[in-house]
Amino acid sequence: MRVDYITGNTAIAEAAIVAGLKFYAGYPITPSSDIFEYLARELPKHGGHVIQFEDEIASINAVIGASWACAKAMTATSGPGFSLMLEAISLAVITETPLVIAYVMRTGPSTGVPTRAGQYDVLQATYGFHGGLVIPVLAASTPQEAYDLTVKAFNVSEMLRTPVVLLTDATIAHTYGKVIMRERGELEIIERIRPLTPPDKYKPYEPVKEHVPAMACFGDGYNVLVESLTHDERGYYAPRTDVQRKLMWRLYRKIVDSAPKLFDYSAIGLEGCDYAFISYGSTALSAQVAAKMLREKGYRVGTLKLRTLYPIYEDGIRKLVSSAKKVFVIENNVGLYYRELRAILRDKEVVSVPIIDLDLPQPQEIVEVVKQWL
Amino acid sequence: MAVAHPLDKYLRTDRIPTMWCPGCGLGIVMGTLLRAVDRRIKEGSLKRENVGFAGGIGCTARMTLYPLFDSAHVIHGRAIPFALAVKIVKPEMKMIVVGGDGDLAAIGGNHILHAIRRNADLLVVMVNNMIYGMTGGQVAPTTPRGLYTTTTPYGNPEREMNMIKLTAALGANYVARGSITHPQLLEQYLYKALGKRGLAFVEVISTCPELFGRHIGFRSPVDLYMEIRKRIVIKAKPSIEESDYSWEKGFVIGEFVDRDEPGFTDTIYEYLNKIRGGGVQ
Amino acid sequence: MEILIAGRGGQGILLLGHILGRAIAKHTNLYILGSEIYAAETRGGDSRVDLVVADREEDADFIKVMKADIAIFMHQLQLDAYKDLVRDGALVFIDKSNTTNIPQRNWKVYLEPYTDIAEKEIGNIRVANMVALGHLIKVTSIVPPEAVEDTIKEVVAREWVDVNIKAFRYYFSKS
Repeated sequence: MRVDYITGNTAIAEAAIVAGLKFYAGYPITPSSDIFEYLARELPKHGGHVIQFEDEIASINAVIGASWACAKAMTATSGPGFSLMLEAISLAVITETPLVIAYVMRTGPSTGVPTRAGQYDVLQATYGFHGGLVIPVLAASTPQEAYDLTVKAFNVSEMLRTPVVLLTDATIAHTYGKVIMRERGELEIIERIRPLTPPDKYKPYEPVKEHVPAMACFGDGYNVLVESLTHDERGYYAPRTDVQRKLMWRLYRKIVDSAPKLFDYSAIGLEGCDYAFISYGSTALSAQVAAKMLREKGYRVGTLKLRTLYPIYEDGIRKLVSSAKKVFVIENNVGLYYRELRAILRDKEVVSVPIIDLDLPQPQEIVEVVKQWL
Repeated sequence: MAVAHPLDKYLRTDRIPTMWCPGCGLGIVMGTLLRAVDRRIKEGSLKRENVGFAGGIGCTARMTLYPLFDSAHVIHGRAIPFALAVKIVKPEMKMIVVGGDGDLAAIGGNHILHAIRRNADLLVVMVNNMIYGMTGGQVAPTTPRGLYTTTTPYGNPEREMNMIKLTAALGANYVARGSITHPQLLEQYLYKALGKRGLAFVEVISTCPELFGRHIGFRSPVDLYMEIRKRIVIKAKPSIEESDYSWEKGFVIGEFVDRDEPGFTDTIYEYLNKIRGGGVQ
Repeated sequence: MEILIAGRGGQGILLLGHILGRAIAKHTNLYILGSEIYAAETRGGDSRVDLVVADREEDADFIKVMKADIAIFMHQLQLDAYKDLVRDGALVFIDKSNTTNIPQRNWKVYLEPYTDIAEKEIGNIRVANMVALGHLIKVTSIVPPEAVEDTIKEVVAREWVDVNIKAFRYYFSKS
């Protein structure tokens, strides 16, 4: 265990090394680039490769290739770069390729304010790629969470053979914090399931555990097939409804059914509360302070900070805020994740508190908006 | 089990016949490529489990579906970064990228540019049928000027892209152009390319009878084949300038570049060893 | 506990804040979050570090100072700009060399010529930040001074370590 004073971006890079990262491909983009620079300096010392590709498209496709050579692989980017990666994320979904994307959000749309924060891409992170499935999205609000959730992101990607998005923003990226870094041996590190069958019996897309197939890699002698077309368990193209249905439901279920296992949050004062604040990422810090200010004024306000945004664990969230009469969803965008929560908290009044701020929404501003509803 | 064909051991025979149209040149390309691989395996300079294929999207990229090797059929234009990453992580691999002119010269153009700049250790086989076949006969960057395509119904007003000149200029270790009309020569180039470090680029002039030939007035695959064959000029040591082609001028085939600069993989492992040799674990 | 450190670009504000934050994180059981603001200009613009320190992790819950318990102001401009972020009763360290107008507040003010001390007594104007940090540590004892010196050695380029430590020790060597 080490203790250090580092930024959110450095925490991601440090945790990735501990998780076993062996291949990083990237293209510079503010505010994610210092993850790249840090790894370029440190990862080779651990036998890993860091390569700057010609664009984000090459980067994510290289990450997919490296993962199929059985290296744990990642990239980091921001909105414009993530947009370029979307087609390949869809490839990673259908080929069930484990990989991690650190998505450091910045003010958008388009070039926006590259150095400043926002949470505009929370829906894009999971719904952006074509094909209508879901990928896990974890959201950090402090350097410590960035560290812990990076390890978790790798574990989830290996366990479920899926791309995983670790979501932060420009604020967290450059916020310093005390980070207690647990190391290998002190942490659970999950590795993908490797085939136990001989090569002639191996089917690259046949589920062996909870919808997840075993993964053989290039060079293992298994004649693997990485197939972007709709495929059967052998990886053979099969343009048939029965094959498509089976594949779609398996890819959907393996993520969605894991929701309880992936659920990660912190709750303050939710038991017996009248009002619940739900938030995530950097804005959760503002929401927690705002709730404290209201509690000091005598209101019974609890906070739920979500660290797992997708898959959504509906029962878990419902139970946590069950005593609240009103739920406020506080985020630094036009009110995006609010739509998700409104859909699952149908028996409650759910109020969107969208506060657009280039940095953190000010707690005082949250209090002023929310007070009209108390 | 009776062996129907000497290359069956390298094929997923349960997937044959291929999806390619009758008369398509791609069967010749795949056969030639597998024969070249077979020669390398037989002579012991290549291990079978170390051969991997990667292709993007298009009729040529579908070649990744049939060989009984590690194989990736990825997304349009992006086979090169995929293959390069496999090679970096597992340097013992010989990665073969197969793609059409659309896959590699158009949508994937940026990647081939930088793969050559790096002298990435890849064999890139670009099959040039001068058209977008899979999507129905649209213009390609390689389509000769003046010819009809479905998206240039009044004739193609654009210049032909010469990938030989580009790859040679950026410093590939090996650059050759073959043709499906001359399979023995093509096999020679592919065999040689498989033995190179750094980037080896082999362009193959091929036929798309359905969506190129028929559209420009050649009713049968044989007619198109004979027409292309007529326009092929074989040269032992052609100059780079001679690689420019047009429908009228025809296509010079031969070996344009053959050099032996260090490949990307060797270089990055050299760096890696130096960094790790610094005593840092 | 909230600590605000502010001055103009070029006064070493970020380094001061980083060394203090790092020493607290690594050498105490306290939890801490810290954020930095600096103007695009290398010299002259606003420079500010906010540190939020707490006994429990969940209380180090914000990255901006709401009401500072401790503040360092190295320049008049930032003193004017941020004076309302400092609570009544706070300990406020002000560089007398760069200020003329001290607001009438219910603060405990330490008005000292950090920049003049650095220039004349230490021999390098650039270490005024460490003179101020030393004063703050001597008065508050948030971190043991040895821990700060270790942190200076970790963070500062080798050829500048001695002069920074000399500056940091200025108030400790005075009785």
